[in-house]
Amino acid sequence: MRKWMVIAAPYVWLLLFFLIPFFIVFKISLSESEISIPPYTPVFSLSEGWESISTKLGQLDFEKYAFIFSDELYTSSYWSSLKIAAVATFLTLLIAYPLAYGMARAPKEWQPTLMMFVILPFWTSFLIRVYAWIGILKNEGLLNAFLLHIGAISEPLQIMNTTTAVYIGIVYSYLPFMVLPLYASLEKIDGRLLEAAEDLGSPPWKAFWQVTFPLSIPGIVAGCFLVFIPATGEFVIPDLLGGSETLMIGKTLWSEFFNNRDWPVASAVAVLLLLVLIVPIVAFQWAQQRAREAGR
Amino acid sequence: MNTRFTWFNVTAIVLGFAFLYIPILILVIYSFNESKLVTVWGGFSTKWYAGLLENEQLMDAAWITLQVAFISATIATVLGTMAALVLVRMGRFPGRTLFSGMIFAPLVMPEVITGLSLLLLFVAINFDRGFWTIVLAHATFTMCFAAVVVQARLTDFDSRVEEAAMDLGASPVGTFFQVTLPIIAPSVISAWLLAFTLSLDDLVIASFTTGPSATTLPMKIYSQVRLGVTPEINAISTIMIAFVTVGVLIASYMTKLQSSRMERDRRAADAAAN
Amino acid sequence: MTASPTINGPAAGASPAERRLLRTAAPQSGFAPWKDPSKQPIIRFENVTKRFGDFVAVDNITLDIYEREFFALLGPSGCGKTTLLRMLAGFEKPTEGRVIVEGKDITDLAPYERSNINMMFQSYALFPHMTVERNVGFGLRQEGMPEDQIKARVNEAMSLVELGKFAHRKPHQLSGGQQQRVALARAIAKKPKLMLLDEPLGALDKKLRNQAQFELMRIQEQTGTTFVIVTHDQEEAMTVASRIAVMNQGRLEQVSTPGEIYESPQSRYVAQFIGDVNIMEGKVVSLPGDGTVEITPASGDGRIFKAGACEGLFVGQQVWLSVRPEKFRISLDPPQSNVNVVKGRVDDVGYLGSISHYHVHTEAGNRVTALRANSSHNVERAISWDDTVWLEWPAESAVVLKA
Repeated sequence: MRKWMVIAAPYVWLLLFFLIPFFIVFKISLSESEISIPPYTPVFSLSEGWESISTKLGQLDFEKYAFIFSDELYTSSYWSSLKIAAVATFLTLLIAYPLAYGMARAPKEWQPTLMMFVILPFWTSFLIRVYAWIGILKNEGLLNAFLLHIGAISEPLQIMNTTTAVYIGIVYSYLPFMVLPLYASLEKIDGRLLEAAEDLGSPPWKAFWQVTFPLSIPGIVAGCFLVFIPATGEFVIPDLLGGSETLMIGKTLWSEFFNNRDWPVASAVAVLLLLVLIVPIVAFQWAQQRAREAGR
Repeated sequence: MNTRFTWFNVTAIVLGFAFLYIPILILVIYSFNESKLVTVWGGFSTKWYAGLLENEQLMDAAWITLQVAFISATIATVLGTMAALVLVRMGRFPGRTLFSGMIFAPLVMPEVITGLSLLLLFVAINFDRGFWTIVLAHATFTMCFAAVVVQARLTDFDSRVEEAAMDLGASPVGTFFQVTLPIIAPSVISAWLLAFTLSLDDLVIASFTTGPSATTLPMKIYSQVRLGVTPEINAISTIMIAFVTVGVLIASYMTKLQSSRMERDRRAADAAAN
Repeated sequence: MTASPTINGPAAGASPAERRLLRTAAPQSGFAPWKDPSKQPIIRFENVTKRFGDFVAVDNITLDIYEREFFALLGPSGCGKTTLLRMLAGFEKPTEGRVIVEGKDITDLAPYERSNINMMFQSYALFPHMTVERNVGFGLRQEGMPEDQIKARVNEAMSLVELGKFAHRKPHQLSGGQQQRVALARAIAKKPKLMLLDEPLGALDKKLRNQAQFELMRIQEQTGTTFVIVTHDQEEAMTVASRIAVMNQGRLEQVSTPGEIYESPQSRYVAQFIGDVNIMEGKVVSLPGDGTVEITPASGDGRIFKAGACEGLFVGQQVWLSVRPEKFRISLDPPQSNVNVVKGRVDDVGYLGSISHYHVHTEAGNRVTALRANSSHNVERAISWDDTVWLEWPAESAVVLKA
């Protein structure tokens, strides 16, 4: 059966390299930390046989999880990750909507070109795009130099290494993810609907809120998920642009792993991050599924 | 939509694109700065580019990155195309929900989780970390992007074309190589390019899964960026941006050319028939 | 009485039947293998059922189709006609039952193992990346035929559909009509015993479609291939087919020649699907035994309708009488006879040039449609809105339906 081979190859690959690793992460989150290589003591291994595993299963402790919940560093990391991601998602929506709207209402022959220019930054390195902002935002950077030059400020603004810089970084980096679904849903709207609304006595600004905006909600939903979910676990942006006061869980996980070399705690942080994100991820898939079915 | 340029549209587009492109433009401009200070313009110079070529570590990292991207993108494209076929053409089978979940979850999965979980897998099975572990990790997360790109194309092409091939005596494998693959080829190429760029860009997953033997370009850039802004990083960034920009411009020009040619042919055929 | 115009009500209700008469007068008129018990069918569906989950697409169908037939599967979308065709091609497997072609059970064969069956697809399914020539030669190449022979066969197929000069074009460089011919040539190039056509002309405009129908008939006769066509267009089925199977909800309603289907439908469904028809409900009041039946309408005003009897009628049975609009004689004066007459008032007149439609509101409170040819010999005063009219019809042109 060739059909089964076609299914099996990607299936086995994903089981092996995507699903099983999660179980390993979970398993290690229950292990003891140790200063060795690898820096953890396996709680159990398959070679010990089933009996030994089942007795040890009874003794499993969620010590690392208890530790995470007792330490304010971790709880506030989760909390502030969600908060920063949510605020940044909203800001991205505010900037992306007029852009997507303008694109969808630009002359038809211009639209593919405009689309290409929105996608182009997405193809260029994320790291480089975040790096580009360092030169602009830092104290002796271009923004401050410009503002000082025109006399708008007398002291350099401290933007770099603050949460504001993280917001700017997220909005900038994830803007294409918001613009594309918004544009797709706005572009589909039949212009005659607006004409009909205006014909029935609705002035343009009202027609926007009564017709265009409700019809673009699927795009808003998709765009918000596409920004919110990865932004919550973001590492590069808070690491490069944020300061010590900007707590984000991706950064905490990274330093737990690379700096403290505490793999069990890093794993427990990852498991909890996944649990936090599973709700939006499943909701997103569900929304996409519904949009696909409605499209048929 | 009534499509025309109004003051609102133009303002929105100009401001939006200014926000997207000004930081990149500044980065490019300062890569030609004679001065080492980023805010001071010291005159035009290409000395930082010349310096790059002598930086052996950087060149090594770039070479490794390209190799990793090439191999992992190829694996990802093959597996992603298969996965897309499974999702679009295979109908229902036991475990389909899990399968589609595993295709879509990595698209939004935070990189720190993907990276950590793959590293722990490689440690658990005692796999020597380095070049090949990055390749495997990149192939895994980029295959999901490849699958989505190919899937979009497969969904809107008429499966009757494949049925016609089978009706004329082509086996399923023959049908795939003679009919399906040539038709979806553009999407397979874009899938490969997307996987390739994603691999080139990746810092987090590579940092987790690599060993002491392999350092990729983003890792190299990251470690230098942490020390501060230097014109040298601007220079290498500019090269990478130019590389991608030229590629995207060529690709979109070709697509435009092809679709306008198709459109012209179609109109000519209809005109000739009437 | 109720008027039941169908979706595809032809401008001239009689035209498919007329066209049919022209065709049966042609050389094929004696062709009726389904009446010859010694003939073996080329296709046999044996108690075939196909379910998709809970949905029954094809419901226990048994059907024979004979060699050289041009057989039409006709019905609205979702009636199971395409599923039946796809089971012949091998794209669907019956849930129950067997499909036998040329005496061989092909139920479990894959499409590419059915070398004597080829299909022309809805919206053509041409290979967009291949030239016309490569498209037409695709099937032959799969067989591993030598290139020079392929070339000859491709040329033959392309000249059959008059497409020679487009050999090196790609599908998108062709008009709809040309694409349709490429699809036909591609299927015919393999010289199949059995040719399946799934809504082959659905994408063409009306004028082209009529031309293409006659071309299909010409090619079918020239090649002697058995054609099975799926269509929802009753006029198309009437034009091309030797026999028509009218399908409804996965079942066969009636399998007959176009003439029989039009003149003696076996159910209200068939009568309404083919052409315009007026159907009225009634009860059998007597069976005089002279091959006629007397019916009293459900509206019960004591009038009597007479019609030719069919088998299995009994007094008191609920039946339906179907009368085609063109069978009515419409007049401003009361006719002599009192049998098969209804009186009414003209609600609406539709002038269509050679003929006119009259929508008549009957005394019994129903609407019926009548047709009258606008010949110049018509000395009577033109019938107009609000005229009181009488509709009369001969007993032999009304059909009694039991279902």
